[in-house]
Amino acid sequence: MSSLLIWIVLIPFASAALLGFLHLLLPKQRSLHALYTVSGIAAPFISALMSLAVGWELFNSSDDMMIHAIAFNWITLGDLSVNVAFMADRLTAVMLFFITFIGTLIHIYAAGYMKEEEGYGKFFSFFNLFMGSMLLLVLSDNPIMMFVGWELVGLSSYLLIGFYHQESANMKAANKAFILNRVGDFGFIIGLALLFTALEGTGYTFEAIEANITTLDSSLVAVIAMLLFVGAMGKSAQIPLYVWLPDAMAGPTPVSALIHAATMVTAGVYMVARFAFLYNEVPQVGVYIATIGAVSALFAALIASYQSDIKKILAYSTMSQLGYMFIAVGLGAYSSGIFHVFTHAFFKALLFMGAGAVIIALHHEQNIFKMGGLKKKLPLVYVTMFIATLAISGIPPFAGFFSKDAILAAAFASEHYMIWGMGTLTAMLTAFYMFRLLFIVFFAEGKMDGKLNPLPRTMTWPLVVLALGSTTVGFLGLNEAYGGTNIFSSFIALPDLSHHLSHKSEYLLGMLNVLMAVMGMGLAYRLYAKSAEEPQVNNVWRRAVVNKFYIDEIYDTVIVRTLRHLSVFTDKIIDQKGVDGILHVAVSGYKSAGAAFAFLQNGKVRYYALYILSGLSVLSLLLLNALGGM
Amino acid sequence: MDPILTYIIFLPMLTAALLGLTRASLPLLRLGTVLSSLLVFVLVMFVSMDFDPDGGMQFLRIVPWIAHYGITYYVGVDGLSLVLLILIAFLMPLLYLYMWKERRKGYWYNMMMLQTGVTGAVLSLDLILFYLFWETMLLPIFVMIGRYGNGMHQFNAMKIVLMTVLGSMSMLFSILYLGYDLFKQNGWWSFALSDLSMLQLNPQTTIWLAGGFLLAFAIKIPLVGFHTWMAPAYSSAPTPAVVILSAIMAKLGIYGLWRFGYGLFEQTLSYYAPFMMILAIIGLLYYAVHAIMEQNLRRMFAYSSGSHLSLIALGVFLTNVYAWGGSLYFIATHALSSAGIFIMIGLLYKRVKSVTIDELSGIASVAPRFAFFFVFFALSIAGLPGTGGFVAELLIIIGAFKVNVWIGVLTATTMLSSMLYIFWMLQRTIFGPPSMRTQIFVDLNSRELAMLIPIVLLLLITGIVPSLFIPLFEPYVTTALQDLMMTIGAK
Repeated sequence: MSSLLIWIVLIPFASAALLGFLHLLLPKQRSLHALYTVSGIAAPFISALMSLAVGWELFNSSDDMMIHAIAFNWITLGDLSVNVAFMADRLTAVMLFFITFIGTLIHIYAAGYMKEEEGYGKFFSFFNLFMGSMLLLVLSDNPIMMFVGWELVGLSSYLLIGFYHQESANMKAANKAFILNRVGDFGFIIGLALLFTALEGTGYTFEAIEANITTLDSSLVAVIAMLLFVGAMGKSAQIPLYVWLPDAMAGPTPVSALIHAATMVTAGVYMVARFAFLYNEVPQVGVYIATIGAVSALFAALIASYQSDIKKILAYSTMSQLGYMFIAVGLGAYSSGIFHVFTHAFFKALLFMGAGAVIIALHHEQNIFKMGGLKKKLPLVYVTMFIATLAISGIPPFAGFFSKDAILAAAFASEHYMIWGMGTLTAMLTAFYMFRLLFIVFFAEGKMDGKLNPLPRTMTWPLVVLALGSTTVGFLGLNEAYGGTNIFSSFIALPDLSHHLSHKSEYLLGMLNVLMAVMGMGLAYRLYAKSAEEPQVNNVWRRAVVNKFYIDEIYDTVIVRTLRHLSVFTDKIIDQKGVDGILHVAVSGYKSAGAAFAFLQNGKVRYYALYILSGLSVLSLLLLNALGGM
Repeated sequence: MDPILTYIIFLPMLTAALLGLTRASLPLLRLGTVLSSLLVFVLVMFVSMDFDPDGGMQFLRIVPWIAHYGITYYVGVDGLSLVLLILIAFLMPLLYLYMWKERRKGYWYNMMMLQTGVTGAVLSLDLILFYLFWETMLLPIFVMIGRYGNGMHQFNAMKIVLMTVLGSMSMLFSILYLGYDLFKQNGWWSFALSDLSMLQLNPQTTIWLAGGFLLAFAIKIPLVGFHTWMAPAYSSAPTPAVVILSAIMAKLGIYGLWRFGYGLFEQTLSYYAPFMMILAIIGLLYYAVHAIMEQNLRRMFAYSSGSHLSLIALGVFLTNVYAWGGSLYFIATHALSSAGIFIMIGLLYKRVKSVTIDELSGIASVAPRFAFFFVFFALSIAGLPGTGGFVAELLIIIGAFKVNVWIGVLTATTMLSSMLYIFWMLQRTIFGPPSMRTQIFVDLNSRELAMLIPIVLLLLITGIVPSLFIPLFEPYVTTALQDLMMTIGAK
């Protein structure tokens, strides 16, 4: 069983290497398409089957069961001993399940979406590279290997955002994503290094850290917890490191669905849940995380309500939903957080894939105000996206209701009313911007003439599978108040900080959430169901929101330009005037630096070189003599 | 008394002499050079297989040379020099492969001289011998830049010679003083490192003497403030010389710091350490910022090299097992990455006769293989996990945190510094729409692939399975640190 863990990670990497090699060897060969498709899809599929086996094994064992597999020793130096080793507990099993399952579906979808592209093989190579890295991230038994996976998903994200690399704008977006992620990773690595030095060689696997965490000074743990969260801010697009995510939509839509919605961006939430033992030591940091999450959720929902690019709306929506997840894990409701990761993966992947289908059908149109009336023309896409929209808006019995309800209940129960309030307001906005999208695209009168592109079947039936998922997976988290036993949270067995809430208040909160969603929905219906014109940017508030509060411009002016000016300054002033200036004076001993150069150009240096040469020759002859005579 | 190291050192020079005296034709010269470098590689493989990591200094060879002054031909190899030895032996054949089409014979002779120079400097254990090789490697560089370079090559050649000679002279003075002092104290002459390191000197003097060595190494690395020769030399030198400058000679500055700095002046270095650490940290960031706006790819990666070498130097002054292990590992892995990127820049220049970023664009669309290798090496310089540089940087960061949290934080900025220039550069050169110059761009041929693939593979292996390499030098690092702690603790 344990060697399965190694194969789960290895197979996608191997497939990525193979496809990449073939693509470089025969870049323009279209005859290899079949091979690319088979190998590209087979890799996540095989990993999915093996993940199911691992999950089944864990399901049938006690809840603290862990499966270990050591591939090889990575490094041993001083107290640092790190193995390339994998560990699966129940948290891992959940992550594995949806990453490989949804990953396989999106790979199938991509085979249809990308079939006309020249870089088809390259695409699947990068896509499999991502799968391998993501699986390494969740399966790793120590933070160092997790960090390796963490960085490699960032790399694959960079490569895939910049997939259409002829457009400079896309590469800019890719750079932005990688750089902001690295800024987060800077915090992450400092956290890891501090943790390692504080542990003083008592082992550096998650289990060993958990065993020794109580020996550490709690203020140090708080600092470490904060720093690790900085990494999560980058990867999971929270304020202030979120600005890359909307731009990341420059990548092909399957990439947005898999990486920038379902899996990679949730790595930050997974990391906090993985370090639950550490975050439980310092609940005050958790509150800070939850606050960042709540502010991000509200902020992103607000911007999403004003966007007109279908993918950007979904991107901000992702950021907003990630905010919910951080509210949960920040307040110690880890299983609710992971549950939302889980349900969100289904309906958000579905939304993106539906959006991708619309985009392909409309010949790469992304502005929702240029769409409309697609209800009749794309019925399957319409129905599935409707389901996903209901799910994300938190309408029971669709999946999002249960997970979001659990998070808001946790915020209420732990008496963080401010966070709870922001979350509830966000719930209304969520329903508003999602139904706005749905109504404008499918209901409002159409503005598109001409024939739609036909959709291949590989692009449509994954939508159906995910729609089924979005309808049903919520019941896994049905809690006592609604007559369930919360199978999900008892399976995943995370060390939640529990707060009691009476059934009556649960019902009230649930009803309030539904009410908020219905209000948002109604508002969207009133404004956009009949006809929709692209709104005029006519007042300060609108202009500010449409321009995303000018955060990009501020970053650009304060950081990017300053650095560029500084760079010119180092060259033109410090080096040329400063260092070389001193040098010229020192070298020449003359009054002016100009004279120093005159001295250089007189060729006396050549004499000097000649002098060294002759000196060296004499010494070398002596040396030869000595070596010869031995 | 195994002569194998002597063969390794002198084989290239002897080949050059033999071929030169017989006025060999170009094909013969080419064949001879490649064969001699392959033979050297095989010999080095023998050495590393017989090498005992726990055995300290091995394969010793001591021959009296200028007996009156106790100067000996004294060579040997330990964990520290083995890393550099393998690196040189691995890179040289690839560089000769790069030069395959080169028709100027002097070019080939100079490269062989250079190989003997750098190998000798790495293996010498007598200070006069070390000095001889240290200067031997400068002359071919001077000729390569001055004669075969481009741009303001003569001026730039003088600049590098002038600055490095300034360092060498101060080092020579320190060496001679040490030898003379030994003679005064004991009545016999010696310049062997093992003898000189036993000397008892008054602290005031050692500060000056250590300063003489440090100046030489600081210029070679170069640390900030001693660096203005670097970018001009890199931009004027022909590619093989740039690769040697960045991949090997700069590392010899670090090597010297280790071997002779810590070998002779443990105490005094702890006096200098704070200043050197500050210089190194400034360098790490300063060079990276400097690189951002560079238009010339060679100059950009010259600064990039300076930034990473500052990090390595920082690791050397952080005297613990992680920082030292990391620095030593970084010497090897950074050499591979920078060799890779400078070879790519050389290939780029051969194709489009330009290394100016503004004139390049969209190479990925016309030459995907070229783009792959270029991006791979660039990302390996940015410390991508899966390449050796990541392991090394991680170790140095951990080492820095062991010393002090704030030094640790400053060291960790290496995660950010290389991104400042690498990604923007990639966006403008490799990606985007093809420019006028890059519209016709021949992708890599099989000879070029043959010289790049070994570097890529080695970078990946060093990144994925570092445990294959670290045991080679781990004992050296551990014992050297123990000795250091004992010396400092004892006094």
